[in-house]
Amino acid sequence: MTSERVLLARVGRERSQSIDTYVADGGYATLRKVLTGGWTPESVTDEVKKSGLRGRGGAGFPTGVKWGFVPKDTKGKPVYLLCNADESEPGTFKDRLLMEKDPHQVLEGQIISAYALKCRSSYIYIRGEFYEGARILQRAVDEAYREGFLGENILGSGFSHDITVHRGAGAYICGEETGLIESLEGKRGQPRIKPPFPAVFGVFGAPTIVNNVETLSCVTHILNRGAEWFAKIGRNEKNTGPKLYCLSGHVNRPGVYEAPMGLQMKELLFGDDYGRGMKDGRRVKAVIPGGASAAMLTAEEIEDCPLDFDGLAAKKSMLGSAAIIVMDEDTCIVDAATNLAKFFSHESCGQCTPCREGTPWLHRVLGRIEAGEGRAEDIDLLEKVSNQMANGMTICVFADAAIAPVLSSIGKFRDEFRYHIENKRCLVGPRSEAAVTVTA
Amino acid sequence: MSNPARPPAPEKKTVTVVFDGVPVEVPPGINLIEAAKLAGIEIPHFCFHPRLSVVGQCRMCLVEIEGIPKIQAACTTPLKEGLVVKTTTEKVRASRAANMEFLLINHPLDCPICDQAGECKLQDNAFGYGEQRSRYDERKRQYAGYDRTMIGPHVVADMTRCIQCTRCIRFCQEIAGTGELTFLDRGGRTLVWTHDGKPLANDWSACAADVCPVGALTTKEFRFRRRVWDLEKTPSVCPGCNIGCNISIENRDGVVYRFLPRLNPAVNDYWLCDYGRFLSESLNARDVAKATVRGGSEVSDVIVPAAIGRIASVIRETIDADGPSGMLFLGSANLSNEENFLVRKIADHLGCANRDVVVDRSRVRRMKSKTEWIEGDHAAANFAGARDMGVTPGPGGHSLADVLEGRWTPKVVIVADGAFSAAADDPDSVAKLRKAAFLAVAARTSNALTRAADVVLPASSLAQKEGSFTNVQGRVQRFDRAFLPPPPARAHWELLLLLAVALGWGDRNWTPADLREAIRAEVEGYAGVSDEEMAGGGLLKKGLFVSTGAL
Amino acid sequence: MTHVRYTLESSGQPAEFPPEARQRIDRILARYPTKQAALLPVLWVAQETWGWISREASEEVARILDLTPAHVSGVLTFYTMYNLRPVGRHLLQFCTSISCHIAGAGRLLDHCRSRLGIDLGETTADGKFTMVEVECIAGCDRAPSMMINDTYYEPMDPARLDALLGELP
Repeated sequence: MTSERVLLARVGRERSQSIDTYVADGGYATLRKVLTGGWTPESVTDEVKKSGLRGRGGAGFPTGVKWGFVPKDTKGKPVYLLCNADESEPGTFKDRLLMEKDPHQVLEGQIISAYALKCRSSYIYIRGEFYEGARILQRAVDEAYREGFLGENILGSGFSHDITVHRGAGAYICGEETGLIESLEGKRGQPRIKPPFPAVFGVFGAPTIVNNVETLSCVTHILNRGAEWFAKIGRNEKNTGPKLYCLSGHVNRPGVYEAPMGLQMKELLFGDDYGRGMKDGRRVKAVIPGGASAAMLTAEEIEDCPLDFDGLAAKKSMLGSAAIIVMDEDTCIVDAATNLAKFFSHESCGQCTPCREGTPWLHRVLGRIEAGEGRAEDIDLLEKVSNQMANGMTICVFADAAIAPVLSSIGKFRDEFRYHIENKRCLVGPRSEAAVTVTA
Repeated sequence: MSNPARPPAPEKKTVTVVFDGVPVEVPPGINLIEAAKLAGIEIPHFCFHPRLSVVGQCRMCLVEIEGIPKIQAACTTPLKEGLVVKTTTEKVRASRAANMEFLLINHPLDCPICDQAGECKLQDNAFGYGEQRSRYDERKRQYAGYDRTMIGPHVVADMTRCIQCTRCIRFCQEIAGTGELTFLDRGGRTLVWTHDGKPLANDWSACAADVCPVGALTTKEFRFRRRVWDLEKTPSVCPGCNIGCNISIENRDGVVYRFLPRLNPAVNDYWLCDYGRFLSESLNARDVAKATVRGGSEVSDVIVPAAIGRIASVIRETIDADGPSGMLFLGSANLSNEENFLVRKIADHLGCANRDVVVDRSRVRRMKSKTEWIEGDHAAANFAGARDMGVTPGPGGHSLADVLEGRWTPKVVIVADGAFSAAADDPDSVAKLRKAAFLAVAARTSNALTRAADVVLPASSLAQKEGSFTNVQGRVQRFDRAFLPPPPARAHWELLLLLAVALGWGDRNWTPADLREAIRAEVEGYAGVSDEEMAGGGLLKKGLFVSTGAL
Repeated sequence: MTHVRYTLESSGQPAEFPPEARQRIDRILARYPTKQAALLPVLWVAQETWGWISREASEEVARILDLTPAHVSGVLTFYTMYNLRPVGRHLLQFCTSISCHIAGAGRLLDHCRSRLGIDLGETTADGKFTMVEVECIAGCDRAPSMMINDTYYEPMDPARLDALLGELP
């Protein structure tokens, strides 16, 4: 297990964003190798397949396999690569770091990936709130054009490529790949029906691949040091490569940490190189392992919990965006669930019935319980409503995400909900003793 | 490699789909919901409409597809040979009940005051597929300021009732091409509305209300006037222009309450333009209630046979004195083929070559059939039919233009329809016609012509008679009678037939069906027109998709 | 998310992009195969030009991009970052998602309310500050996180906020 910093190698260094720093570090040499050293687009895709790289945006789908879904004959349509920089999953902040501190690592990965996909023009869809990230990326793009790593006939290879930085304007659902595509087309970011899948019919009706910032950042390293090297990092051959973990909540040292895929949860929370334990020596009550859409885990469940796709799937949760949110013993779980329900009700796009009506319903009921107006039947109701919102009821899996915190919090902290309802106040936390104001 | 001795099997023209264990052959390229309908299976839905893009948003049409673990929207599942669909499983039942519960949690209990009641898909699907109780006990979201509000010149919005199906938005974008409607905001706050200052004002705006499956969009003209389950639906043809959109006259107790479109893919498909649709109210107007005869400056009420008798005797006297050349018979583009046929037959019987019909021009009106746009610029429905029936000057005969332009003054003018043109209310034109010694008119509403006439016969509205029109496509289309005209008013054809008999031609017992037979026998191009063809499109309920097999 | 986003306000005058903005728009248009795809970037140009997007501005954007005004309204109201009415010189955006929430975002918000005397969605009488709540802005490791206009300030606490509000012009 190497503790080498691969993705975060330049983070923290002065002028880490500059192309000079990047090139001096060996940056764009891999691009040169791929474009002029005899690599075909197919061989690049094969290498990425062999590496076992799985999408770092949340879904964990094997990247090389996804690239393979683009039809061999695109019937004259161009292929588009879209870098998903819409990072909006609560608890996630790794892409922001990558873009603000080492934009060229993203760009080089994106250009190599574009070459593999025979893509002439790609976009970086970056969330509107990342003003600084967009400025830094644009500066990096300009530098890359200036140095001939973008534009016509890159490095004399015959491969030409353009990158456009495209800013979103405040919508979590635009991180969903078809919501992103709709938004890029200049519409409301309402996800599309699948099939057809973006690889066949995506943006502007053309084959499209959407990849996360961190995923693209890995591509350079795979092509640089080989798929085998990448595949050896990580817990097993299904969970490979270096991974960025976003640690937040009641730990001493929140932050972005790089470790081989499969780092143990407890190591991340308590390790000296990582979170360094709970603030004020408190105990862990619950951990959300993969962003707001992931089922929360109890303190018992984080014993022997490898932080990778399969490890968390085995715990009936998910790695998602690798956003580990730690809640201590003074956290009211009802309050946390209400806050998460608020998020989903604000971010639902509204196009399909179960999610549009269900997410505010869940939020209202939870809010009522939190405010001391809960009823005994509310717990059952929350579970029933959640269970009739997902599993194919909706166009996209936003609803499935929205019900995860509700079902997992009730499922694992049922007594706390009961207490809250019966006593009209929190079991723990700052509001447990104070009288709760009944809101309208 | 093909073998000449064994030709390849003919390509299958249909697709086999198994619905709940029963295989059916359906035409390719239709939606799965439509295929189910052909198999006699109702898949409940809101957002699907056969002429609008498929969005799969309402989630009501979820079914189980063999081979796919999760329930799927039927409307977005492509038709495929051998598809196995299940609509009666517990999963499907539960999904429908869940979806209905979600739709009703914020829906206001407006049924007692909502026009849509009785033709409301939400009511129907709630009754058919929902649970009897709701578990929602929070505040319902409302769109204060967007209820009971005009969203355009004809359409009233009550957006608190909206279920965000986007049919109205898609209609405006894809059919009307004007795109006035949009979603605003998102999530549970999503509202359908216009851009401020750009109301829903396209030529077919009320169709947005038609496609609305609930009472969120309704028409101002119909608001609160009648409960729909009270209404009789009489198939008819729009009198507004020569496109001849198929309509149903929705009526009760001798009153026309509204027009709805009838589904005819070859003419107007599912649609009606606002101009034609809102002519419905004009059918209720009547200020010619009785037959009248002028004696000097005195106008007296008489019974219809007496008025007809008076016309007939004047005609006979005129012919005895000077022959038929001084008479003029005016048909009308508002009148049916049968009526114009009678006008011409009477003129023929009298040997009169002076017969004519005119039609006012309007701005170009457009209507989307299933496959193309149809245009018409006549301000009445049946100019083509009238001409086909022979209402045109014979050899050496005079036209109406000859009169209005001062080239000829007739002695006797018989006007079959007092509203035949704007000229009938124009003082100059009427003065020219009034130069005749005798002027007789059949009418329903008064104008300069009826006020100047010697004899006025009380005639019927479109709703009060049956007949046929020939539209711009040359299509002959029947309209039925919704109710009888109030006595003593009669259908124009009946008045004309009484006159013909009084002049020695025709049979008092003839009906429009008999006249149609005569037309088939005599008029070129009308021989092969069957009753079934003339019947046109199928009845629709507002907001509902009804398959008549004619997709 | 205190205000529903249904209505655009009139600026009272026609919206005409200044030449520099027009040039930016032309450069933007060149990067997309359809005019419609340039809508979000062009709306950003409008917001950077006028600070907010009026009904007139939305109609001018629709005109430039050959879109219906309804389409532009639909997009404008879907995305939360486009200001539909004028905002204060300093737009205070408080993250209230889970990591910031459990780090005390609620207390920070309450403090700001009492300090400025306004609530979410409102602007101070002197036009200096507008308060809004936002969902996760990816500052979770420096919670509670907030933005003022286009700059992150994290972690934030009541004392630091007081100092900052006092300094801002």
